[in-house]
Amino acid sequence: MDIGEGLMLMGKFIGAGLAMGIGAIGAGIGEGRIGASAMEAMARQPEMIGTLTTRMILADAIAETTGIYSLVIAFMILLVV
Amino acid sequence: MKLNLTKSDKIFLGVVFGGYVAVIIYIVATGYKFQLEGVGQRWIYQMPFGEGPLSRINPLTIIMTWVVMGIVIFMATRVKVFKLVPGKKQSLLEALLDYIYDLVKDSVSRKEFVRPIFDIAASLFLFVIVSNFIGSFPGINAIPLESGGVKFTILSDSWYAPTSDLNMNLMLAFFVFVMSHVYAIKVKGWKSWGKSFFEPIWWMFPINIIGEIAKPLSHALRLFGNIMGGSILILILGYLVKYFVLPAALWGIFGLFFGAIQALIFTILAIAYISSLIE
Repeated sequence: MDIGEGLMLMGKFIGAGLAMGIGAIGAGIGEGRIGASAMEAMARQPEMIGTLTTRMILADAIAETTGIYSLVIAFMILLVV
Repeated sequence: MKLNLTKSDKIFLGVVFGGYVAVIIYIVATGYKFQLEGVGQRWIYQMPFGEGPLSRINPLTIIMTWVVMGIVIFMATRVKVFKLVPGKKQSLLEALLDYIYDLVKDSVSRKEFVRPIFDIAASLFLFVIVSNFIGSFPGINAIPLESGGVKFTILSDSWYAPTSDLNMNLMLAFFVFVMSHVYAIKVKGWKSWGKSFFEPIWWMFPINIIGEIAKPLSHALRLFGNIMGGSILILILGYLVKYFVLPAALWGIFGLFFGAIQALIFTILAIAYISSLIE
């Protein structure tokens, strides 16, 4: 392995790690806020827990989307290019 | 909660659990070598003619798509006769379709479009959920080799879910995109449909076009990333623990739980994209 190939591998790994790590920040904050609000609503109205849990999971899955995009980009960097 | 299991339920659960134990015994006994070669690689077949984009096909996607369609049609034939007092399968299906019908009825304002949009949404939901569930059971998979051949592996990976191929998801999302604009033309007429691209001011036209193109792209990438990311994650974690206990739990979480949620979200977004254009 010559030095050019090594540099390319290093760039790939650092790039994939950064893409996943930075991309997870937004999704993490979003899901945390959704969970906090759902907990608050559940504490206020315990009889609505069933409905709120379903809605919370749906909203979580949508907030997760940006994290999933960065996962796709990281896989593309690692496996495709 | 008290579970009332009939004898056939117990037999079914026993068969599932026994099958899992048999898979573990098979893997341990044959000393299968776990390797990470071919992760994220696809088996691509080059047709003998031409060099264009249509000359390369993904055979596993085509085969598994037909398998999924066969399963859906088989399910449809089993509950064909709708009785007044529903049985087990019929009540499950009725509850599922009733939920989607309520979703469509709540978001579509025009009464005459509720039924066709429900047909589209329910068929999308059934196809996507069955193909996500297929990706949660261990089965046969094909891995391309460096030399150009193909190696078939048994029980080292789950069945290939058709939704973990971006082409499939893009096709489904493009179908929703085309149908939404067909309904928009039908409701508004050609003139006011064309005018809707110049909505606030005429120079917003490129931004409106980009917004319309981004819809099917994000729609497809959301499903693709979840299913393919899940399958690769299961492979890597299963490689760490040598497939003993963890993959079953992961297959349950990623295939069944996330698969059901993502199928539901795919359907909800399809309903939202179609109904937002026929307001």
